[in-house]
Amino acid sequence: MPMIGLNCRGLDVRIAGVRVVRDLDLEVRPGEFWALLGPNGIGKTTLLRCLAGLHEPSAGEVLLESRNIAELPRKLLARHIGMLQQHTVYVFDSSVMQTALTGRHPHLGYWEREGHRDLEMADGALHAVDLVGFAGRSVTGLSGGEARRLAFATLLVQDPEIMLLDEPTNHLDLRHQVHIMGMIRDRVRDGRHAAFAALHDINLAARYCTHVIMLFGDGAWCAGPAADMLSEASLQRLYGCPVERIESSGGPRYHPRSS
Amino acid sequence: MMPTAQRRLLFLLLAVLSAASVAVAAALGSVSLGWGQWWAALLDSGSEFGELVWRLRLPRAAAAWTVGALLSLSGCLMQVLLRNPLADPYILGVSGGASFAALLGMSLGVATAVLPALAWAGALLSILIVFSLARGEGPWSGTRLLLTGVVTASGWAALISLVLTLGPDGSLRGMLFWLIGDLSYARLPGWALAILLLIFALCLGMARSLNVLAMGETTARLLGEPTRKLLWVVYLLASVLTATAVSIAGNIGFVGLIVPHLMRLLVGSDHRILLPAAAMFGGLFLVLSDTLARTVLAPRQLPVGVVTALLGVPLFLLLLNRARVKQ
Repeated sequence: MPMIGLNCRGLDVRIAGVRVVRDLDLEVRPGEFWALLGPNGIGKTTLLRCLAGLHEPSAGEVLLESRNIAELPRKLLARHIGMLQQHTVYVFDSSVMQTALTGRHPHLGYWEREGHRDLEMADGALHAVDLVGFAGRSVTGLSGGEARRLAFATLLVQDPEIMLLDEPTNHLDLRHQVHIMGMIRDRVRDGRHAAFAALHDINLAARYCTHVIMLFGDGAWCAGPAADMLSEASLQRLYGCPVERIESSGGPRYHPRSS
Repeated sequence: MMPTAQRRLLFLLLAVLSAASVAVAAALGSVSLGWGQWWAALLDSGSEFGELVWRLRLPRAAAAWTVGALLSLSGCLMQVLLRNPLADPYILGVSGGASFAALLGMSLGVATAVLPALAWAGALLSILIVFSLARGEGPWSGTRLLLTGVVTASGWAALISLVLTLGPDGSLRGMLFWLIGDLSYARLPGWALAILLLIFALCLGMARSLNVLAMGETTARLLGEPTRKLLWVVYLLASVLTATAVSIAGNIGFVGLIVPHLMRLLVGSDHRILLPAAAMFGGLFLVLSDTLARTVLAPRQLPVGVVTALLGVPLFLLLLNRARVKQ
């Protein structure tokens, strides 16, 4: 299987008159786990949507390998790029298993039904996100954290090389935050997958991510390896709030400085 | 996911019940047949009641089944299209256009046989109006479609009131029956059945796409659906189903809302199971409703739309209550 990466070239993204990024050149390679950091409302979700082909850039292009994603059929795109959305709302009731199985949709033909292997994948994914025994449960009865884990399981079942994640740890308790972030890191380390996650928790980014991109507003951005990017000064500039670096046994941690 | 064996059993059961409902419809009416008479009539159309069964009751029952299936299928599609479990086949104005055309025809004294064609033309006009106004440029907007459809429906309602007010008194009763929904003059035209089967097959083919569409437009796109195209296809198919049903039987209410709902509660929301189940149950439900409409006050006949609502409401509330208890 070829290793697939995502490339941005001269990307300009705007939404409702707000400039998210200007002239963004970025390469997301297999094996990399990117953290997308920035204050509220700066356009993190819009950038993710643009990388997923849901939002049209005002200039530049997003390339999957060497092909512009705007020109690829959605079905093909969905086999290589997947996105965990920030919110999932279920209007119609469905079972947890059936929802996880929707991840197979782009891999199946018009009349095709899910086969044994698809069921196994869904089963494995529910197991991986700690939803064992939930298969027959109704999705409308899930708690916020359980629904979040189900959405992540669906992404695992979809199994795209590029995983775009919009605040993956939303609604999750401490154990499951660490569990999910660890799972993304392990998946990326196999050298076939890449992840690109909008995060608010700098310490999760510091602990799990290999690379960081920061959005400062009005199109300004800065990207690079996590170790070079994360510093008191850069975070202070990013969030407009004094930040203190503390050394811990697991590496540096960042906290808002108490005034 | 429903196990295959269970799913087959469900479909078989619904098919058998459908056939049974048609058989019952053939036996009951202002003249009720005994077992022997009924059997003799079924075997020989030249026998004493053969004419009654084969020329009147069976075609009417077949029409009822088809209309019920058309409406239920349309209801399922409209609910996914608007992502709203309260959507019904009439919400986007298709039936308004059909009714206006049919009522106008009645007030002008057009022959009864021409009314379905007239109604279909009115429905088509309404579909085209809503389609061209709501389409526009840019991304899909369910809200725009809903508003355009609902406002168009209101426009038709005003025109219908106008026809009712200005039309000759002699045709008022016929118009009223049309608006309530009535199968008295319904005969099963082959084209309606052909439309049903064709669209049913298409929908079954895209049932998995409907499943992801029900999870939201963005989710569906992320899972590989070209949603803009898909949603317009769903709109057109649902509208054609509604137009066909209305042109045969007028505005039979409630079936297209309640049957998809009931079936969702019973079989879940996987459209590969939901669509066939809803179509068959809708057919069965309307055949039984129409049989009741013919017999309850026999020899007087009620418009079937009255019966569907009277039956549907308690049935629905009962099931809703049971579903809540189960959870």
